[in-house]
Amino acid sequence: MTDRRRVVGGMFMLTVLGLVLFVPPVVGLFNRDVTFLGMPQIVFYLFTVWLLLIVGTVALTRHLPPDPVEREEEGEG
Amino acid sequence: MLSADFVIATSVAYVGLLFVLAYFGDRRAKANKRSWLNSPAVYTLSISVYCTSWTFYGAVGNAARSGLEFLTIYLGPTLVFVGWYFVLRRLVRISHLHRITSVADLLSSRFGKSSRLGVLVTCIAVIGIAPYIALQLKAVTSSIQAVAGASEFGRGSLTGIDDVGLALGVAAAMALFTILFGTRHVDAKEQHHGVVAAIAFEAVVKLAALVAVGVFVIYLGGGIEGIFSQAAEKGVVFDTSASFDSRWITTLVLSIAAIICLPRQFQVTVVENSNENHLRVAGWAFPAYMMLMSIFIIPIAVYGLTVMPDDANPDMFALTLPLSAGQNALALFAFIGGFSSATSMIILESIALSIMVSNHIMMPLVLKFGAAPQGGDGQGVSSVLLVARRFAIVLILSLGFFYFLFTRDSDALAPIGLISFTAIAQFLPALLAAIFWKDASLKAVTAAISVGFVIWAWSCFLPSLASVSPLVSTLLEEGPWGVLWLRPEAMFGLEGWDPLAHAAFWSLSINVLILTLGSLLTSPSALERIQATAFVDVFRRHGLPQRNFVPGSATANDLYFVAERVLGEKRAAALFEAAARERGVDPALLEPTPAFIGRLERELAGSIGASSAHVMLSKVVAGGDVSLEEMMQMADETQQVIEYSQQLEKTSAELRLTAHKLEEANAQLRELDSQKDEFLSQVSHEVRTPMTSIRSFSEILLEPAGLNEGQRQRFISTIHQESMRLTKLLDEILDLSALERGERTWQNEPVDAEDALNRAVSVCDALLRQRGMRVEFGERAHTTMVEGDADRLCQVFINLISNAVKYNDADQPVVHVSSSVRSGTYVVEVADNGPGIGKTERKLIFEKFWRGVSGAGDQGGAGLGLAISRQIIARMNGVLELVQGPLPGACFRVRLPVVGRES
Repeated sequence: MTDRRRVVGGMFMLTVLGLVLFVPPVVGLFNRDVTFLGMPQIVFYLFTVWLLLIVGTVALTRHLPPDPVEREEEGEG
Repeated sequence: MLSADFVIATSVAYVGLLFVLAYFGDRRAKANKRSWLNSPAVYTLSISVYCTSWTFYGAVGNAARSGLEFLTIYLGPTLVFVGWYFVLRRLVRISHLHRITSVADLLSSRFGKSSRLGVLVTCIAVIGIAPYIALQLKAVTSSIQAVAGASEFGRGSLTGIDDVGLALGVAAAMALFTILFGTRHVDAKEQHHGVVAAIAFEAVVKLAALVAVGVFVIYLGGGIEGIFSQAAEKGVVFDTSASFDSRWITTLVLSIAAIICLPRQFQVTVVENSNENHLRVAGWAFPAYMMLMSIFIIPIAVYGLTVMPDDANPDMFALTLPLSAGQNALALFAFIGGFSSATSMIILESIALSIMVSNHIMMPLVLKFGAAPQGGDGQGVSSVLLVARRFAIVLILSLGFFYFLFTRDSDALAPIGLISFTAIAQFLPALLAAIFWKDASLKAVTAAISVGFVIWAWSCFLPSLASVSPLVSTLLEEGPWGVLWLRPEAMFGLEGWDPLAHAAFWSLSINVLILTLGSLLTSPSALERIQATAFVDVFRRHGLPQRNFVPGSATANDLYFVAERVLGEKRAAALFEAAARERGVDPALLEPTPAFIGRLERELAGSIGASSAHVMLSKVVAGGDVSLEEMMQMADETQQVIEYSQQLEKTSAELRLTAHKLEEANAQLRELDSQKDEFLSQVSHEVRTPMTSIRSFSEILLEPAGLNEGQRQRFISTIHQESMRLTKLLDEILDLSALERGERTWQNEPVDAEDALNRAVSVCDALLRQRGMRVEFGERAHTTMVEGDADRLCQVFINLISNAVKYNDADQPVVHVSSSVRSGTYVVEVADNGPGIGKTERKLIFEKFWRGVSGAGDQGGAGLGLAISRQIIARMNGVLELVQGPLPGACFRVRLPVVGRES
């Protein structure tokens, strides 16, 4: 199924993207002495990325057809 | 107002509540009404056992001391769960299929069901987790002390009891509690529904408690902005400038490893998973839970730093902030939250570890010395296992307690947890290799884990004891025997690094290096290969690998005996009855098949681990690996089958050919039969015509009157002619049958064939003139001698020429005659420009009774001429055939061997 493979590809991309956004050098871009909504910019950035990862996972999982419950007899769909 | 006694009483009551929850959870599970227990929400909440008192207290302290670093502990697991489809789903599927009970079981099962690897992993896990247990004991102790210290009622019954005594009390209570909870029975799949229910409840409590404290702090501080501006006024800076160094990446990697490999995380995420689809929810819900847990940590830490005295322990801010604000109820709630996170971790971790210890250390010992006591209830192994697990729980908590005892002077919580993470991270390379890389081998994995563990012990565990042992601190300064490059915190001269990053870098990179290189250099055993394929291709292949065993080497009785010892009488009997029912035989007559033995082994593995199950069954079932002889035999059988099938193919091809020939012959016979019928009616007709005229003329002659002599004479001559025709027809038939039966013989002697041909042409001359035809002569041979009879040869030529004349209906009919001698053969060709002979008729023209289809009726022949001619020529060792001639019509060729040549 192309659809499923696309969604799985999206999940992989989201995971890698999350990793890249959480480690230097990207994370360093937002680590400046600026406050945003009363808190340091970097704190806001990390929690925003975190939230986006959660929302992204919800959206992608919605489009992923569930595995059949029968466990012992199935292959990858 | 809070007193220490009240807090302790509350804790005990809370534990009682948990016990009731667990009890009813188990009851529900047994009654199979697991509606809410078997939901993704409970599953997700049970995973949040990851958030221990390290999160509750330690993260606040960590945020206060080192800024953002605490976040990596949650960001790493977030990434793992966002990518749940790739690692966790695979782990869950494999574990369901192979009845995996722990990390040690997974690794030992994958690498050839090796019990040694299981022992190694178990030992490392037990030692590595000790600091983590100590952390929980320390957190609970500190929190009780914090409450007691702030209480105006004094220390109550705690008077005279120091940290150590308190911690010992907590550890003992926890051990008792865990034993009551987790080791009441040995489950088939090591799922503990009651415990999971209690853990899920605790997850809700700790989240609610931390959120309550957070909201309270934000309210107190006047919003987030207020908290930060107050802090700035007091000169407290939430420093993030140096957050993103090597330590950031190290803790991120360690937390990724921890969420997969920590025994309790593996237990709740993989082993307790009852439905793969629960991961779909946990994939986003668990990161969301962690985010909710950490969102208030920075405000609590910053506000605590701002308002609390400088000597206050930042780890306890979540508790001391409400206390100092006089909010006792909230403080009690916070205490229960912290207590929840500590107890849930200790319970699950010690259950998970005790399963590993009993399955991988105790069980092999029991098997080896065969000392399984046989209770009358048939629960021998089960009871041994339970005792082993209880013993293991006490052992694990004691280790934690002793670590606490040695390191109680260190005040921060988080670094202790990271020591455990680094130890557990040593399993990650092996685990990933186990499920993704088929070539990973047992030897390499064993070596990699051992070396990684040794480096961890040297560079991470040992330095944490520096404060209690002067020997260790000298070692840190100078290295062993003064070898500087072996200093635990500056190995190979790598100085100036953060100790944690240093230890993690060396242990993990050398671990990976040995694993990879070792796997490339060693070759795995047959069982390893089978397991590797089963694990790595879990989504690609259907079914499970089957064991080879010598048929008849084990009886159902032997197997039942083994199953009964491990599973108990009831379950063993149920298993065997189910198998017998499937096969439709009486349970007493059940013949063990490889499939059944595989199933039995998996059931046993669910109770005692894969390697122990393998060892147990191997004792009663002969066989195992495929021997060389078996392979040869299999190859031989295959060869035989191939040969046999080739022979069959050949035979069937022959049969097909024969059938085809028969069909052709049959068709020819049918054709001839119909020709014969036609001929017979033709002959009858031919015979009837002269017979009729003979009869009528003779009747006229018998009439005495009215005939003159002239008429009489004419009638008599007509009768004579008709009789002659009849005689000739009958002669031809007789002649042919005589020729065919070889009765009519003549002496073959050299005759002049050209002479015979000339004679034939001149005989036919009259016929030709009558038709107004002429003979075209082609090339002519000179006098040529052939073996034969001159008259018979002439007869053949006459027959051919007269046929060419008779059947020729062209406007200007021509007969072409040529003769020649080619390479010792005399060749005569008689061709005409008539209608020719149709393709279908070519085969039949030499048959008896055949007459040309078109105009056959007019020509009056009996259809025997060509058949007779062919017989004659065959007698002279020659050939008469139909060929493509120079004219459009038919062309007959006669070939006869030449005996002598006269030029």
